[in-house]
Amino acid sequence: MRILIIEDDVEAAEAMVRGLSDNGYDCTHAADGELGLAAAQKRDFDVLIVDRMMPKMNGVQVVETLRREGDATPVLFLSAMGEVGDRVDGLKAGADDYLVKPYAFAELIARVEALSRRRETGAVATTLKVGDLEMNLIARTVHRGETEIDLQPREFQLLEFMMRHAGQSVTRTMLLEKVWEYHFDPQTNVIDVHISRLRSKIDKGFERQMLQTVRGAGYRLDP
Amino acid sequence: MRLPRIFRTTTFRMTLLFLAVFAMSAAAFLFYAWFATAGEVTRRADAEITREMNSLEAVYRRGGAEALNQALIERASGERPFLYLLLDKDGKRMTGSIAESPVDEPGPGETWASFSVTDIDMDGGEIKRPARGLQERLEGGETLFVGADVGESRSFVSGIVNALWGAGALVIVLGLAGGAIVSRNVSQQMAGLTDTVAAVRGGDLKARARIRGVQDEYDELAEGLNEMLDRLERSMGGLRHAGDAIAHDLRSPLTRLRARMESALIEVEAGKGDPKQALVQALDDADGVLSTFNAVLAIARLQAAGQAPDQTCFDPGQLAADIAELYEPLCEDKGLDFKAELTPQLTVKAARPILTQALTNIIDNAIKYTPPGGAVMLRVRRRSSGEIEFSVTDTGPGVPEEHRARVVQRFVRLENSRSEPGSGLGLSLVAAVAEAHGGRLELDEGPGEYNGSGPGLRVALVLPRVE
Repeated sequence: MRILIIEDDVEAAEAMVRGLSDNGYDCTHAADGELGLAAAQKRDFDVLIVDRMMPKMNGVQVVETLRREGDATPVLFLSAMGEVGDRVDGLKAGADDYLVKPYAFAELIARVEALSRRRETGAVATTLKVGDLEMNLIARTVHRGETEIDLQPREFQLLEFMMRHAGQSVTRTMLLEKVWEYHFDPQTNVIDVHISRLRSKIDKGFERQMLQTVRGAGYRLDP
Repeated sequence: MRLPRIFRTTTFRMTLLFLAVFAMSAAAFLFYAWFATAGEVTRRADAEITREMNSLEAVYRRGGAEALNQALIERASGERPFLYLLLDKDGKRMTGSIAESPVDEPGPGETWASFSVTDIDMDGGEIKRPARGLQERLEGGETLFVGADVGESRSFVSGIVNALWGAGALVIVLGLAGGAIVSRNVSQQMAGLTDTVAAVRGGDLKARARIRGVQDEYDELAEGLNEMLDRLERSMGGLRHAGDAIAHDLRSPLTRLRARMESALIEVEAGKGDPKQALVQALDDADGVLSTFNAVLAIARLQAAGQAPDQTCFDPGQLAADIAELYEPLCEDKGLDFKAELTPQLTVKAARPILTQALTNIIDNAIKYTPPGGAVMLRVRRRSSGEIEFSVTDTGPGVPEEHRARVVQRFVRLENSRSEPGSGLGLSLVAAVAEAHGGRLELDEGPGEYNGSGPGLRVALVLPRVE
C-alpha cells in the first residue's frame, strides 16, 4: 500500500511516515499543496493524507482539483479545526474521511486502513460473510453457523460495519461517526457497552471469539 | 484655505441645494411679476392716450384745426398730464406742450413711440422720465401727437421690482443662516457619536454614546451603536475569559503531567520505575488536557459567534430517541433505571450536532453522578409557553441550591465530585449551547430520596418556540 502524505509540518509528517511504515505502508511526503498535487497527479497512491492548512495551496483546493480531474483515490483530511462546518467543507471538497489534530496514532492507522481497503469492496453485495458469520442484507438476518442471531436495528448496523471492515482495527470514534453519525468524543464508554452487547450475541456459546478488543485502539472482527 | 467645518457638513450642503432651488423659483417669480406689471402699466398708458386722441379727433372733425388748436391750449393748461403737439401740413409746429415730435419716421396712419422727457427738478438738475406717445395724421393734413408721462407708473413698477430683489436677498441670507444653524445642530448631535467612536478606536471599549431620550433617529443610531459595543465587549470579555480559563484550567493538568514525567524519569534512571507505565499515564494526562482545551474552544466559539450556526427545524423527540438508544445500555450496565418520555411531533429550530452534543453532555453527567440503583430520565416536552424543554433528571446527590448558578459557570466542579473524571466543562458547554440558540439552562432539585440516594438533579435545556 502506497500512501502520499501532503503536510507542511515536517515533524508531524515524519512521525506519520515512521508510524505508517512500521505498519507496512510505503509512504511519500510532500511538504506543500503544490508539490502534493503534482505528486498525487501521478496516480501512484492508494490513499492520500491531506492537511487542510498549507502554504501555496490548501488541502481543500488540492482535493477539489484531483476530484475535478476524475481522480477517485481515497483521501483522509487532517485539520486542527474540529468544528462541524470545517468537517463538512472537507467532505464537500471530496475527502472520504476527516481526522482532527491532534489525533491518537491508532485512530490514524485505523482510518487509513479502512480507506485503503475501501476499493476492494466496490461491488454491491447482498450478503456479507466473515468466517462462519453470515449477514443477509436484504432479509436483514444474521447467522453464525446454523444459529440465527436476533439483532436490534442498531446492532445490525454495528455488525455490518464491523463485517465490512473485518480484520481491521476500528476505533470507538469511527463507530460513533459511521454507525450513529455523531461527531463528538463522548466522555463515557457508551460504545464499549454496545460492543459488549453485540459480542454477547455473536460470540456467546462459541469457542472462537470473533469480536476482539484491540488495546489502545478499539475493536476488530476476526474471521 | 479650507472652509470652516460647519460649511463642510452634509446638512449645510443640503441646505445650500434647497436654497439654490428656492432662489431659482423666486427669480422666475420675480421675472414674471416684473413682466406682468411693467406690461400692464404700458397698456394702461396706451389706452388713456388712445382715448385722449379719439376725443381730440372728435373736436377736430366738429370744428377743424382752429377748434383743435383752441382745445389743446385749454387742455395743456389744465390738470391733465398729457403732452400735446400739433403740426400743420408742412410739419411746422402750430401749438403744443413739447417742442418737437419724438416720432422720427411717421408712418401713414398711427405711430406709437416710447421716449423720454426731461424735467428740471427743484434743485435745477435734469431728470429724464419715460413717456409714451401716439402720432396721427389728421384728415386736413395736420399732424397731432398725444403723449403721456409714464414715469410715475414706471417708478411704481421699479419699486416693486426692488422690493422683490430685496426679498430675494433676504431669503438667501436667512437661508444661509438657517442652514448654518441646522447643520450646527446636526453636527452637535453627531459629535457625541463621533466622540464615542473615537474613544472606542482609542481602546476604551467602555465608552458609550449618550441617549437623549427623545427617540429620534440620533437616539436610534446611538442605541444601535451602544448595542453593538455591548456585544463587542461581551465577546471580547468572553475571549479574555476563555484565555484566563484556559490558562487556569490547563495549568494544573500540565503541571501534573510534567511532575509525573519528571519523577518517572528519575525512577527509570535509577532502574526502579516502569517506563511504559509512565508513558501510558502521560498520554492519559495529555488527552485530558486536550479535551479541556477542545471544550473551552467550543464554548468560546459559540459565545463569539453569538448564535449557533446552520440551524434547521427538526423533531426534538426523534433526536432524543436516538440519544436514548445510544445511552440506555450504558445505564443498564451501571445498574441505573433508564426512562425516556418523549412527546412526539414537536418542532425545534437548532444546530443539530451542537444540540446533540449538549444533550449527551447532560446525560453523561447524570450517569456519572448517579450511584447504582438510581434512575435517569430523559424527557422532551412542550411547555405551555410554547418553549421546547429537554430535561434529564437523575437521582444522584444533586447540587445544593446555592451552588446551582455556579455549576453552570466554566470549570466549576463541586468538591465532592473531584474524584470523577471529566473536564468540568460539561454544563458550561450546555449553557453556552442554550444561549447560542436563544434559550437557557435550568437546574432544579430532582425527585428527592430514591434508593438511598438523592435528592437528585433536574437539568433542563429550554429552547424558544418555533414560530
